[in-house]
Formats: sequence, C-alpha cells, structure tokens
Amino acid sequence: MGSTVSTETETTTDDFPPSGVATQVPLLQVRDLKVRFTQNGRTVRAVDGVNYSLQSGKTLAIIGESGSGKTVSSRAIMGLLPATASVSGSAKFEGVELLGMSDKELRTRRGPDFAMVFQDPARSLNPTMRIGTQITEAIRSHFEVSRAEAKKQAITLLQMVRLPSAETRFSEYPHQLSGGMRQRVMIAIALSCHPKLLIADEATTALDVTTQAQIMELLEDLQSELNMALILISHDMGLAASFTDEVVVMYAGRVVEQAPTRTLFSNVRMPYTKVLLDAIPRLENKSHTLLPVVQGRPPDLTALPPGCSFGPRCPYVQEDCRETEPPLEEHEPNHIWACFHPVIEGSSAK
Amino acid sequence: MLTRLSRSPSVRIIGKRVLQAIPVLIGVTLITFCLLNLLPGGTCLSILGVGATRPAVHACDIRLGLDHPFFVRYWNWAFAALHGNFGASLTSGQPVSQILRLRFPVSLELVVYAFIMSVVLSVPVAVLAARKPHGIIDRISIATSMFGLSLPGFVFGLLLILVFAVHLRIFPAVGFQPISAGIFSNIKSLTLPAATLAFALFCAYTRLLRADMVDQIAGEDYIVTARAKGVKYWQILIRHALRNSMFGLITLIGLNLSMLIGGTVLVEQIFGLPGMGQQLLQAVGYRDVIVVQAIVSIIALAVVATALVTDLLYAVLDPRIRYGRPSS
Amino acid sequence: MAALAPDVVPRGAGIDLGGRGIPHAAAFDAGPTRFRRFFRSLELWLPVGILTFIVLVCFLWPVIHTIPAAINGNLLDANLPLFTHSSLYGNHILGTDTLGNDVMSEVLYGGRTSMEVGLGVAVIGFGIGGTLGVIAGYMGGVLEAIVMRILDMFLAFPALVIAITIVTYLGQSELHVIWAIAFFAIPAYARLARATTLRIKDQTFIVASRLSGASDKRILFRHIAPNVAPQLLTFSFLGIGVYIIVEATLSFLGYGLPSNIPSWGKMIANGQIFLSTTPQLVLVPSACLFILIISLNLTSDALRARWGAQ
Repeated sequence: MGSTVSTETETTTDDFPPSGVATQVPLLQVRDLKVRFTQNGRTVRAVDGVNYSLQSGKTLAIIGESGSGKTVSSRAIMGLLPATASVSGSAKFEGVELLGMSDKELRTRRGPDFAMVFQDPARSLNPTMRIGTQITEAIRSHFEVSRAEAKKQAITLLQMVRLPSAETRFSEYPHQLSGGMRQRVMIAIALSCHPKLLIADEATTALDVTTQAQIMELLEDLQSELNMALILISHDMGLAASFTDEVVVMYAGRVVEQAPTRTLFSNVRMPYTKVLLDAIPRLENKSHTLLPVVQGRPPDLTALPPGCSFGPRCPYVQEDCRETEPPLEEHEPNHIWACFHPVIEGSSAK
Repeated sequence: MLTRLSRSPSVRIIGKRVLQAIPVLIGVTLITFCLLNLLPGGTCLSILGVGATRPAVHACDIRLGLDHPFFVRYWNWAFAALHGNFGASLTSGQPVSQILRLRFPVSLELVVYAFIMSVVLSVPVAVLAARKPHGIIDRISIATSMFGLSLPGFVFGLLLILVFAVHLRIFPAVGFQPISAGIFSNIKSLTLPAATLAFALFCAYTRLLRADMVDQIAGEDYIVTARAKGVKYWQILIRHALRNSMFGLITLIGLNLSMLIGGTVLVEQIFGLPGMGQQLLQAVGYRDVIVVQAIVSIIALAVVATALVTDLLYAVLDPRIRYGRPSS
Repeated sequence: MAALAPDVVPRGAGIDLGGRGIPHAAAFDAGPTRFRRFFRSLELWLPVGILTFIVLVCFLWPVIHTIPAAINGNLLDANLPLFTHSSLYGNHILGTDTLGNDVMSEVLYGGRTSMEVGLGVAVIGFGIGGTLGVIAGYMGGVLEAIVMRILDMFLAFPALVIAITIVTYLGQSELHVIWAIAFFAIPAYARLARATTLRIKDQTFIVASRLSGASDKRILFRHIAPNVAPQLLTFSFLGIGVYIIVEATLSFLGYGLPSNIPSWGKMIANGQIFLSTTPQLVLVPSACLFILIISLNLTSDALRARWGAQ
C-alpha cells in the first residue's frame, strides 16, 4: 500500500464540522483519502477524496449504496485492504499517521486503538472455533493474560453485550447462535481490547428490524459508557438520523454531502440524499403508498460518466450536470455538498 | 442413556454409516468371489496342467468343492471367513489364516508409516507455502507436487533406491527387518518403501492444503475479522485457515485410501517386503485362488473400513455436525 | 497415480479482493495484459503441443522411417551404447537393450501402447461410466441409489490389485489390460457424471425444458449431455495419465501386457538390474512416461482453470 502524506493546505476550516470544542485534537482525522484498485491494467477509484474529523465519544455516519466506497474507506484506515489497493492521503489517529504504517505496527493497534464490527456475522466468525476462543484470541493477542483471566474477561464482555447465558455461550459454536446473538458476539470481540474507536460496517444490515433496534441501542449505550467514538457505515438513512452527530453521504467513491446530522436532515441539499431520505418509509403515510425508489443501478466504477456521477439517476439533472463534475464546497456554514442544482426547500425528516 | 445417545447427531451419523457399510462389505466380497470363480481358466485345469484327463479334473473339482452351485460356494466361504477360516493354500497347503497372520503386520506397518509420513510432512510444507503465495517455498512446493503426481510410483521407488541405497548407502535397498531385530533397523528397512508409497499422496495433500488456505485468506470474511482483531499472521494461518482446511484434507485422504493400501502390492515387490501384497502377487502367479480370494477380500475390506473411519472422523470433528442445530 | 478426486478440486485463486464492499471481480474484466494472456495460453498450449508431438512421433515416425522392430532383437547386438551404427538396421540412436532390441523403437512402440491403453480406458469410462452416471443422476430415486452403491463397491478395490487379478485370469493381452483398468475407471467417470448431472438438473433451463413438454431422452441428449461432457473431458486428461501409470505398473510387475508387445513399464523392469551400467535403459522410458503424464496433467489443469471447476 503506497501512501503519501498530503500537505495540509487548508483553505476550508480545519474542523469539519466545528464541534464547538475546537481545541481538542480529533481522535481521527481523515484528509483527502483516496483508494485505487489496480488489476490487469485497469484502475478503479474506489474512494476519491474523503475528509472528516471525529472527536472521542462522537458518532459519525457514512451513508451510501454498495460500491460507494464507504466500506473501503474505513478498511483503508485500519489497513485491511488487499495488496491490490493503493492508498493515498492522510488518516491520523490521535495525531499518528496510519496510512503507510507497517502491517506489524498496525496490527498492534487493531483492537486496542480501533476495532471493526462487520456486516455478516455468519461469515465473519470462524465456524469451527468456539466463540469464546474467538474473543479470548483477540484479548491474548494484545495483552499478557492467562487463559483463565481472558475467559473471565470474555464472559464479562458477553454479558456487557447482553448475550443471555453468557457462560454457556462461551463454549458454543457460531452456528448454534441466532443472527442477532452472533452480532453481539462480534461486538464483544470488537470491544475486547477497549478500543477508542469502533467502526460498525453495516453491522445491522443482515438483521431483522427488531434486532436492529436492539443492537443500535446497545451500541449507543456502550458508546456513552466507554466514551468510544463510533463510525456507523450504512445505507440506511433512518439509522443515521437517530444516532449520529455528523453524516457523510458518499456516492461512487466521492463525498457528495456532509453536515452535522441536524443540519443535514433539516436542510437536505443534494438530490441523492433527498432521494435516500424520501425512501424511508413513514408511519404517517397512508398504507400502500408507493415508496419512492432511486432509479437506475449503482454506477460502474470503471466507467463513470462525465460530469456528476449521480447525473444519470438524478431526478433534477440538468445540462451542466452532465458536463462538469460539481465541486465539493461548503455552500452553507458547516454544510458541504457537491451539486449545481441542490434541493432548496428544507425537507422535514423524522 | 440409549435415547440420549441417539439424539446426538454425531452418533446418528456414525450409526447410519456403519449400517451402510455392511452391504458394501458383502458386495465387495461377493464381487471378488465372482471374479475369481467365474472367470475362464478353471482352477483345476490350471492346477493339473493342460494335459489333464477329464476324470482327473472332475475329481479335483469335487475335492475342492467346485461342483456346488455358485451361491452355496460363496456362502460356505463367507461363513468360514467370518470365523477366521480362509481355507488352505492350494500351493503350500498352509492354512491361509496362518499365512495372513505372518504377512499382515508387515503390510500394516508399511501403510501406517506411509500414511503418517504423507500427512505429517504435507502440513508444514503447505503452511509455509501458503504463508507467501508465489514465494520461493510456494513455487518449489507447486513444482514438486506436479512432479510427484506425474511420476509413476515404481520409477520413484527405483530412483530412491539408486540415490539412497546404492550411492548414499543410508537405507537398505531390499529386505525387511522385523521389530525383533531392533526397532531402528526395522524403521530403516521400511523408510524407502514408505516414502515411495507416500510421495504421490504427499504431493496431493500439499497441493490441496495450500490452495485451500490461500483461498481462505484471500476470500473468507472470518480471516478479515481475525486481521481486524490484530491476530498475528502465523496464528491466522494455523488457527483459522489450516483448521478449516483439515476437512478437505480428510476427504481427500478418504478418496485416496485405495491407492495407499493397493500401493503396497507394488512397493512390497520392489523392496522385497514379506507383506500381503507380495503374497498376493505370488498367489496370482500360481493361480492359488484360495489365497487370492482371501487377500483381495481383506484388502478391499480394509479400504471400506478405513473409508468409514474417515467419514466418521469428519462427523466427529466438524462442530457444525457435532452440535447440530442452533439452540433458541 | 494421481489422486483421482474430481470433486475435491482446489478452488481457483480468484482475484485478490478482501471482502465485502470492494469492487467485484467483474470490474476488472477489461482483459488481461498481453503478457498475461500469452502466459495463459502457454499454460494450455505448451502441454497440448507436447502431447501432440508425442502422439505424432509414436504413431507416425515408424511409418515414415523404417526403424528396427522393437522385439526379436539379435542377442549379439545386446547392450549397445547410444548412437551406434549397425549395418543391418541403421542407427541405434539410443542403443539397444539386454535382448538386443533397439531402444528407440521400443520407446516409440511402447508409447503407442501406453496411449492406446490410456485412450481405450478413457473411452470406455466416458461411454459406459458417463452414461451410467448421467442416467443415475437424472432418474434419481432407487435406481440412482442402487447404481451408485454398486459403483462404490467397485471403487473399494485398489486398482492395482483388481487389475492384476483380472489380467491374470483373463490372460495377458492389450484388450484385457484395458478392460481390467476400466474396472475402476467406469465408477470414477460415473461419479463425476452423476455429480455434474445433479448440479445441472435443477437449473432453470432444464426445468423450462421439462415444462414445455420435452421428453426425457431429448433433455438428456440436448441439454444434459453437452454440459456434462466438458467436465468429463477435462477429467479424462487427468484420468488417462493415471491409466497409463497403472498400465506401466502392471507391465513393470510382469502382469500387464504380454511380452511380445513393447511397453515402457516392461522396459524399466528389464533395465532395473543394469541401472548402474546402462542407466538409459531405465531412464529413457522413465523420462518418456514422466513427460507424457506431466503434459496430460498440465493440460488438465489448464482446462480446469479455463472452463472453471465446479
């Protein structure tokens, strides 16, 4: 993974967004993060310039469809991308540059500094290993503890994630647990080394709605308990609305809108974001109301159209959209977007 | 207690398999019997020679019980065999069970030695190869595997003899030393034969393990989880990838059992080991139907039995089978 | 003898992508660079080329150039070294063996035999085994269970043991050797054919065919067979290598082809004793066997990589 530390030529304000406590060094500061995959001579720009700052204890949401680059950007931070990826830009964790760090050193940070919860717990857990072992493995990779001590800690973790009968579950295998329980185990694994940052990558997508709500509540509680920073990656705007401090919307590898949650939801600008918002089913709508659906399919990253990437699917698209790519700019205080013809009227969400 | 046992999915699978194996065992011995007794070139004719007179052949037939109908003969044989009586050799008159008792341990030791060699050597090589795909060790192991799978066993055996016995003089070329002559020389006399038997298998196992582990590391989500946990790479290879690859290995071992066991015929002949395989060749040459029947049946039985064990191992080791459905 | 495990195929190393959210392999299908494409095709065509060469040489050379017979050599000519001139028979390029036979022609005729046996077994296996497997897989039910159980029984016998037994009792001849080896080739083909049939059977186009009223026979011939055949073909390359090794082993042990038919295995057996003095008697046929089989294996691998193992 090659990476270049970008020179910090900040024309825009240094804190994205201003959290009011500007004197704090952000826990995670991502600048101009770019990820390219090259294979057989073809290049795919999976992530094309992402910027955000995250303070301890705060929550950031990264919203987008599959292929938008949301997963790739966070994996880049943790150094979990395959060798075919080349990463550039900067990602500073507590002031230390992560990109370009050797895997050996990154490995010592994975767990105690930052951790990830993955989407599909059925496949993300080793089917032939007991779940207890999968937790203690994380602990013992970073701390010198006896097996008995690690087991104790693991059971405490399982209780913390509200897994019933934690002691029994410790010795069970993943296939013996339901989807929701497996996800709790994944969270326990992620928390095992007390990370300062937790990245939840579509952590609830594979679960049913009720379980989803439970898991989100759990994450929220844990976050305030442990003063952990949280990055929520999802395609579900509804999720972002309830739990987060700031939202980043990505499309085709680029950030298309970014703002503190309140601001975003009360003043949606980017048509893509508006369409996502409109797609959330609302209780007050009459039954059988048709859900507005985003037209078309996710873009082919190897063959992006000229101009705005969202153009072909945008209900508000105009001529200039098809010609030039709209730049990402802070058009309103703390609210940046990339669109020539943003939605002006404030839409009311939740 | 029996009901509790029957609820365990592993035990149920074991029971099912054992029951399934019985008709196969019967069928196998029946087929052998068919082959040997229905083929032209009547036993008595070959014993007495071409110029034998008809009444002499007939008398011989009656003596050997060859005039009875086919299934009666089979039943008689099977019944006796179950009691350990395989008849008497047509050439030496010796009870076959006695012959077997002498020969079986030699073949058994050879097979076990070769099996251990093939598995124990392939695991570390595969792990080292998978550690750095397309690295030096990996390329060497791939080339060696291709080489080993393309070389006939007897050629490899001759090569081994040429290098290790003739030139380097480390191992004996021919002959068998029983354990009574000292465990060390016993193992030495079996090393080259076991290596010959094991080489092709070693190549197949290494190839499979390496490919499976590389696939897992490249594609499986739980590997990403392990990396995200900060687990050391060697640990990921061994505790995650290798562990899951074992199942494929067990399956492959099961599929190659007939090669492992049948290969003793060739190896014992080349290295002059007094095992069942060599005995079989002799008996075939002398048209000693009784002995051939006994040995072929036992060899086939051994294959079926070991295949069964392999299946069972699978059922016992795979936690997904062992612990069945999720609870709650 | 290679591990005859058609259903335990190492998954091809796909594109190196580490998990979800990362561009699918299809994103890179712009086509490989020319360098890669060259190697890719070399992977297949080099072994195929070697195979073709061997086939042509063994079958055509003796026709084009008159070479000394492979048998009935003159004992006075025994054990001649390489590149000997003989007034009677022309060049003994590779010398002669212990009985005075020309090694070169033994090699060529032996090659013919090996390939004839290998091909013969494969044809029988493909025809009988393939048909049995497809029918069993398609019909299902009791028929399938019985057929597969019986075939499993046949597979329980070690190849060598059975082949030796059959050949001895039927009498040594090329045809009997072929049938003896086919004894365990048929179940192997049947297994693969059945597994493939089962996989295809429930695919949409088959179901659609059945719903539109096509007869079973028609479905079998027009839809199933053409999809099973490539799998069997790929397997055949691997299989032929195995059968050739078995034949060589049989001949080596003395239980294979009759002594008037040249065979590489027999050559090796006869040459064993002279390993230190005239090594070429063992090394030449060994090398030939090795090259032939490795070409078969490489072809099989390349085909699998191209057509995708299933």
